Amino acid sequence: MPDLYIFKAQIGMFDPVALQDHNVRLHYQQAVHYRKVDFFEGIPPFQCVDIAAGIGLPALTPTARVNVVNLEMADNEFGLWRWYPIDDAQIRLYHPAGIAKYQLRNLQVPVDENILFRDPNLVSTEIAVWQNNRPAVEAVNAHAFALGAVRLIALGYRYHTVNLEGTAKGADPELVKAIQLGKAPCTDVWCSGRGIGD
Amino acid sequence: MLLANKEGIIVTGPLIALVPGGVGTSLIVFTIPVLAGQLIGLKSAKIRKVMLHNNGAGNTTVLLGNGVAGVGVPQILPAFDSMNNLTASYYADADFPEFESFANIAAWTPAVAGTISIRLEVAVIG
Repeated sequence: MPDLYIFKAQIGMFDPVALQDHNVRLHYQQAVHYRKVDFFEGIPPFQCVDIAAGIGLPALTPTARVNVVNLEMADNEFGLWRWYPIDDAQIRLYHPAGIAKYQLRNLQVPVDENILFRDPNLVSTEIAVWQNNRPAVEAVNAHAFALGAVRLIALGYRYHTVNLEGTAKGADPELVKAIQLGKAPCTDVWCSGRGIGD
Repeated sequence: MLLANKEGIIVTGPLIALVPGGVGTSLIVFTIPVLAGQLIGLKSAKIRKVMLHNNGAGNTTVLLGNGVAGVGVPQILPAFDSMNNLTASYYADADFPEFESFANIAAWTPAVAGTISIRLEVAVIG
């Protein structure tokens, strides 16, 4: 069995969390989905959003919350993403838009360009996106001058999955039961943040 | 992702002969790449090198800005010296601070007797 799990550290492109025919348990807020991977592909690094919407971000100003629609996936698919900014703002991530990500008791930890020095593999930025349940971001410009843009680069994997639950083609209730009992292999994938006390 | 610490693809702008006459005769010396339907997201350019050749224009200066041709301003860097009949090269980090431009880059020179040739090398980001 390959050694696959989330938040894996390595140089270069990061490992997928599952391969062809592997089982995954997708967590989206309180919902749990048992799925099997039937296709996946790598997604090269691309500019997924300009949070300042092409008009720049004035000095000492935060942006409104912006949905990252370019990270949405099609039905039955989830995306595994790592990301970093290429402009010097602090980024707050929400996943989905109403739930703060990287949330501690007293602080929502932001991400800035220093992530490339402090966490070169971008391990700590890893998120998963289930179907169209995309994340959202805010940018904070702490400089005394305007920024021309606040752009994020994302890279990762696209997974197409089949539902193991229910009665549709591909369903396998016995396998779901085996996964729940810990008798069949499965990778847990978190596709959202979680509210404090939730 | 270790190599991502240094973003940017180095490209060179066209060779432009500036028309002496002040900011009103400014010309675009580097155009930010924009092609609707092909590029994802916003591109910017960090100026890496500025190369000048003075064609008998006398001792003068060359200025860079973010305005359109014929407008030039706002100016984005201090003036670069250009000595009569000589070539000059200026390098980011060594001779001027790295400046990231989100708009096309224009250049101009005061009203002088000859022309000044200019070429920029930039790192395209995004």
